Amino acid sequence: MKKILLTTLTVLALSTQAADFLPSAHNWNAGSSGDAFSAAIGAAEADYASALSASMAWRDTGAMIKEAKKLHKAGKVNAATALAKKAHTQAINALAQASVAGSAGPSF
Amino acid sequence: MKKLITAVVSLGLMIGTASAGTDVGADIKAFQGYFKKQNPSVEFADYTIGVYALDAGSRDQFEEILDGIPPYEEAVEKGGEEFEKFGLGKCSALKDPAAARLAHPYYDDAAGTVVTLEGTIRRCYTEQTGKKMGTMKGKIARISSWISDQAAGEKINVKVESDGAKAAYERGKATFYAKRGQFNMSCADCHVYNAGKKARADILSPALGHTSHVPMYRAKWGGIGTLHRRYGGCYKNMRAKPLMAQSSEYRDMEFFHQAMSNGIEISADRYRK
Repeated sequence: MKKILLTTLTVLALSTQAADFLPSAHNWNAGSSGDAFSAAIGAAEADYASALSASMAWRDTGAMIKEAKKLHKAGKVNAATALAKKAHTQAINALAQASVAGSAGPSF
Repeated sequence: MKKLITAVVSLGLMIGTASAGTDVGADIKAFQGYFKKQNPSVEFADYTIGVYALDAGSRDQFEEILDGIPPYEEAVEKGGEEFEKFGLGKCSALKDPAAARLAHPYYDDAAGTVVTLEGTIRRCYTEQTGKKMGTMKGKIARISSWISDQAAGEKINVKVESDGAKAAYERGKATFYAKRGQFNMSCADCHVYNAGKKARADILSPALGHTSHVPMYRAKWGGIGTLHRRYGGCYKNMRAKPLMAQSSEYRDMEFFHQAMSNGIEISADRYRK
């Protein structure tokens, strides 16, 4: 019980201190989430470029990438990362379509 | 990973390109036979009026519009004036407008590419005026409509003969049947397998006869637009990124698309909803 109380107090003290020295505009989503965004947007952009060169890109992927960058710039890192991941998924699906497009034919 | 994806995509494209057993006649027979089987009561010649051949109510409205002054009439007349004004008849490929409509699209073996009527009009316009012309609406659509009108009543007869032409045809065929966009649908999903059925409030038009009345006037557009403008609209509807009008992909697809309508009469009735 004593240990639990001590740990709780320590955590509280540290978090109060942390909140004090950071500017109020600090983006709590930065740090590891920022790296996640870079990875997601980089992957989305690379695969979207491949989908474009295969003439099989999806309509909204480019706009999603732009919007994700805008959100990131505005400090909304979580939303930006989620959107970048969605854009990446779209690009992956477009490339999956491209991989079979060349042999497409009628089914009658 | 990127290299692997590119390799897979390239391989997929190569399979289509390297198709050795191109039999255009058999393809046309199967394609037109499919529509005959689906709509036994529709006359083959009626496919020139597209969706109006499949739905009596829509056909009545269509005929009513044509009984009056069709909304595209003035624009097509203007296209004829522009043809003269810009000296397009001086280009050998357009000297006989009716013959020009019938000759396009074709595969140019020397250039190694499909040449569309709009492509020839644009090239000639640049030769005569030194200026560039658009690809989807305005002058290009008006002039192309007027040229097509000169061949009204003649039958579409696309020739796919050389190896290069066959390869372009196969690429176009693959583009037509390939699923794309967020809806994962092909051109054929709507305009072959589900032609005549409803998509929301609209009846899906049959691909057979599609190219007989292009460029088309669309009430939605409030004007005339080229076939490639329509391709772009369909891509958008499937949530795929449209390609450039007159891109090689669209030209190849037009080559295939038009060949499927061989035997259908070219029509000057270019109104569509």
